Order: sequence, then structure tokens, then C-alpha cells
Amino acid sequence: MPLPPRNKELTQQLNNKQKQTLVACHIKNKTMNKTIIINIGNSIIHIEEEAYEILMVYLNEIKQHFAKSADDFEIVKDIENRIAEMFAEILQKGQKQVIDVADVQGVIAQMGSVQDFVGEEEEEVKVDSQYGNFTSPKKLYRDTDEGVIAGVCAGLSHYLNMEARWLRLAFFLLTFVAGTGILVYLILWIAIPRAATRSERMEMKGEATNLYGYKKSFDEELAALKANMKSANDHLGPVVKKSGNFITEIIKMFGRLIRGIFKIFGKGIAIFIIVFGFGCLIGLIVFLGMLLGFWDDSAYQTFPLSVINTPFREGLIVNAFLTFFIPILALVLFALKVINNRIEISKYIWFALLILWLIGAGASGYYTAKILGEFKDEAQLVQQTDLKQYQTYVIDVDKSMVFNKEDSIRYHLQDINMGNRIIVDNYDNGPFRDPRSVSFEIVKSHDDKASITATYEAQGRDFQTALKHAQNIDYKFVQKDSSLVFSPNIQLKKNMPWRDQSVHIQLRIPVGSRVLVNENTHRYWSFYQYYWCRDSNGDHNEPYRESIMTEEGLKCRYDLEHPEETNKP
Amino acid sequence: MIAENTQTQMRKGILEYCVLLIISRGEIYASDIIAELKRAKLLVVEGTLYPLLTRLKNNGLLSYNWVESTSGPPRKYYVLTPEGRQILTQLDTTWQELVYAITTSQQGANPTTEQ
Repeated sequence: MPLPPRNKELTQQLNNKQKQTLVACHIKNKTMNKTIIINIGNSIIHIEEEAYEILMVYLNEIKQHFAKSADDFEIVKDIENRIAEMFAEILQKGQKQVIDVADVQGVIAQMGSVQDFVGEEEEEVKVDSQYGNFTSPKKLYRDTDEGVIAGVCAGLSHYLNMEARWLRLAFFLLTFVAGTGILVYLILWIAIPRAATRSERMEMKGEATNLYGYKKSFDEELAALKANMKSANDHLGPVVKKSGNFITEIIKMFGRLIRGIFKIFGKGIAIFIIVFGFGCLIGLIVFLGMLLGFWDDSAYQTFPLSVINTPFREGLIVNAFLTFFIPILALVLFALKVINNRIEISKYIWFALLILWLIGAGASGYYTAKILGEFKDEAQLVQQTDLKQYQTYVIDVDKSMVFNKEDSIRYHLQDINMGNRIIVDNYDNGPFRDPRSVSFEIVKSHDDKASITATYEAQGRDFQTALKHAQNIDYKFVQKDSSLVFSPNIQLKKNMPWRDQSVHIQLRIPVGSRVLVNENTHRYWSFYQYYWCRDSNGDHNEPYRESIMTEEGLKCRYDLEHPEETNKP
Repeated sequence: MIAENTQTQMRKGILEYCVLLIISRGEIYASDIIAELKRAKLLVVEGTLYPLLTRLKNNGLLSYNWVESTSGPPRKYYVLTPEGRQILTQLDTTWQELVYAITTSQQGANPTTEQ
């Protein structure tokens, strides 16, 4: 209980006395009110919690009042004894077990408040400034009486001295920022205790916990109760208010439902969350370690990581780690608390987690926005290469072309005697495969020459950077006599971020030219399924499929030679 | 305000005298003093009695004995000290003077009632 630090020694003494008064205080739950057992004037009294609070405040005031006279201890002891006696009488007379608020108020009225004593003092005792000062430092609690969901905003509004509706609006709007509002609300819900007792409710509103404050609190509550009953009877009340109440009811109902479900499956869910969450946490830590230290640079050349610009790399990774790690950690801690209520997690830990998460999420958002900004503009670069004239072109994709000279050095290919072994890698099917970046197309040449048009495309912050990115695409194809061999992937120069770079190859051939397409190129064709042409036997066995360029475009040779089969369904 | 103040002062003066009178009739427990004062319609709130008793005790007019109680803690039974008794006789005289002062003030100087 807040006492003005008028007399430190006295406060100390009071605290000690309170401890004595509360010897062997145990709490049992009744249907409605908590009952506390106190030892006052050497008799054991059962008293309701609210009544106890009022009594405690009253006794403290008396103690403070008489602290100035030499015999404070004796007077206070006498008064305590008398109060105990009155309680005993009340209990005996009323055939009761427990002292309630009305009893305590009756006793206080009979005993008189500190103000009544003033006239009796020999020397003029100045009325404490305490009695004129009804405010005290506020404490942060959730106000479930005035709250809509869990009273977080209402509690904050008392604390910050602003209207709850603005806070609610702020939380609602924050919800659209990647759900931040909901997460912050949940964390505050967990971190801030509910204002359960009267003195907590008064501390929440910054009212001094002295007798006057109590009276004020009672009166306000009574007025609020009357007002509520009035509005309940008021059928003509504004529709908005009613719908607001309706929404509150629905949310409360859902809350109850969730709590009910949680009670039934709570422990099971909690254990699952702890096990699963713990796995996630360890996974995240390992992943972070791998990203930051254990992997070499080549990891950053593969797709999802290659999006990140080199200068942002560490920052984004650490902050993204925080953004994912902290909510899972909070969830695991919460689940631990559900399973074992005795685990105390300090409010400061929750706040520290919240702040760390906000920093992480904010920084991640900043980096993400920066990176997304680099996809604003697009540039294309077209390069035309004339081909030597042949009757038939053979089109192949060669994976070994992925390895350029740099790669050979990196993998020490030249050092190892490869013999007859060939490199078989699964570059196409790995989890980090680049998004489709190479595509082929065969069109009719308008003159009689054959050519290849390669269109390099990339995005960037502006046209200039986009063009630079397009220029930096490293793509290889080789013409060896009639055979055209393409690389299956584009290569980005080292430390070049992924900016949706792609290459489109257009092979222009004159009418009458033939094309033999290897079946393994199937994933690169953008329009026509040349690779699906039947082979000369009308089957799909041979790796190369033949097509012929006609006036109407490319046609399968088999279809041209067996026109009767194409018309069949 | 002035009326209230005067009333308080008058009550305050009389209260002390009454408490001494009540105790002078024999050893008595604080709660019984309160009951007596209530019957005499002199006491508004009980809390005022305790500082008063303590002060009287400190001035040597009262002393108390602890007496075991059948229910609850031992009780303080107050008695007058010889000094208290002496003061009480002085106060009795003062009271007579006061009564005289009041009646005289109320009825005016009347030679027939004068002693």
C-alpha cells in the first residue's frame, strides 16, 4: 500500500506490523469473495478480501496519525483490540462466519475516522496533506470492467491518461501491419496483470488508497451500476451503442469458448507447443548459425538468399531471425506457464521480448521494403547472333555447361583426374532452384537466314540498374556445326543479387529447315511442345523428335507424314 | 463553524471529566467506559477515547491492570491513581463553579437562589 514517505522508520515499522498481522494468512475460495484469515488484537477473524483491504487502509491511517505522539503503539494496539472485540460481537450477534465490507464500514463509523480524532489532540495537529490529495502514482493494470476484449486498451488509457478509443484504433490499424497489433495485444495481455481487487483498480486509476479514496471508489461503482441498469432499461438507446455491446458479447463468448477448449485440451496443446516450439527454436538457431558462419558464400548464390543485397545480408538475417524466434519463444514460455503455474516469468522479460521483437520486425520490414524497391523498373537487352546455314538443327541442353571456369576452380575439377566420369548433378530439381529463368522458342525466319535472338531481362531500382543487371547475365550457348547446345541456367556474376533475371532464346529458321529437339529440353519451351512430337515410328521412344518449319510455323514431321492420324481425336 | 468549534471545545472539556468520573466508580474496562459514555450521549466516535485514556495515564491520573479475559486477549482495566482522585475533586469544584456560572448566566443574578 502506498504510504507517503513522511517517516521512513514508521513505514518500515508498519510493514513489519502488517506482516505480523498477516501471520498464517491463508486464502480459500468461496463462491463469490475471497476470504482471508487475519490475526487482529490476538483473535483470529475471517474477513472478506475487500473488507480486509478497507480495514488495512483504515488501520494504516490510524497508525500514521498517531505516529507523532509518543504512545502511538499503545493507542493503536488499544484500537486494534477494540476492533477485534467489535468483530467478535458482530459475528456472534449475526451468527456469521465472515466479516464483510458492511461490517468493516460499520466498525469504522463507530470508531471514527482520523479526521474525528484531530479535535482531541492536545496540540494542533495539522491535517495531513494526504487527505486533500486523492491521487497517487498510477500502476498499469488491465481494466476488464471497461475493456472490450481483455481490457488492455482500457488499462493503458488509465495509465496514459488518454481515451481508450484511440488506443483501440491504433491496435486495430497496427493489425494491418503484418498482424503486429494482434501480437502486441497478446503479449500485453499476458504481461499486464488484471486489476482484480479494489485497491488495484484504484491504483490503476491513480486514486490514493486511503479511506476517502475508497469511499469515492464505492460511490463511483454504485453510480456506474445505477447507470448500467438505467441503460439496460432504456430500449430506445442508440443502435450504435447496442451493436457495440453485441460485438463485445460475441468477442467475450469466443473468449470463453477458446478458454473452455483450452481448459479441456490445454495441457495437451501446451505440451505439443512446447515440444514443437522447442524444435522450431533449435532449428532456427542452427539455421541462423549456418547462414551467418558455417556456409560459404556459394549458399548466397542460390535463389531465395540471392535476392538479398550483400550489404543487407547480415542485418536482414539477424532481424528476420528475431521476428520468427521471439513469438515462438513467447508461445513456448506461455505454454510452460500453462502447464506449471508456479513458473514465474517476470514482466520485464515479456517487455524485453516485445521490444526485441518490435526491433526485429521493424528492421526486417525496412530491409524487405528496400529490397522490394529494387524490383520497380525493368530493362531488356536483345542480342542477335547469326547461325551458319544447315538443313537440320539439333537442339540440346547440356548441364555440364553450368560449370564455368570459375566453378571448375572452386570445385577443383582440374585437379582431380576425372577419367571417364561425368558430372551428374541434380541442379534442376534442388530445393533452391532459380525460378524459371531460361525459355526457348522457335519461329519462322522472315529472310532465308537462321539466327538466334537472345533477350536478357532484369529488374532494378531504376532503368539504369535494371539494365546493369540484365547486362550482367551470363548465359552460354554453343553452335557446333548443326548442333546447338544451350546451358540450362543463367549464371549471375558473383555477389550479384537476384533481380528476376531471365533469358528468352528465339531461334529463327527459314521455312523447310528441320529441327531435332532433345526430349530433355522439355521444361524450357515456352509455347509449342516440340519435344512431344512422335518419333519416326509413331512412338515416344527416341530422345530426338523431328519438326519441320512450314509456312504456318513449326510442325511435327510425323504429323506431316501421317496427316490422317492428326485428324483423329 | 464557530458554533461547532465551541461545541467541540465544550464536549472536549467535559469528556475528560466524565471519563474520570466513570473510572472513579471502580475498576473499569475501556469498552465499558465507551458504553457508559454512549449512554450519557457524550461520545460520537469511539476512536477518540483511546488517545484520551493514554494521555490521562501518561499524566499519572490513571493506571491500568491487565486482567485475563475468558474470550479474546487480556483486557486493560483502568483505575484512578491517588493523584487522579485529587485532580477529580478539583474538577468537581470547577464543575460546580461552571454550573453556577451557567445558571447565573441563564437566569440572571437572583438573590433567592444564591447560597
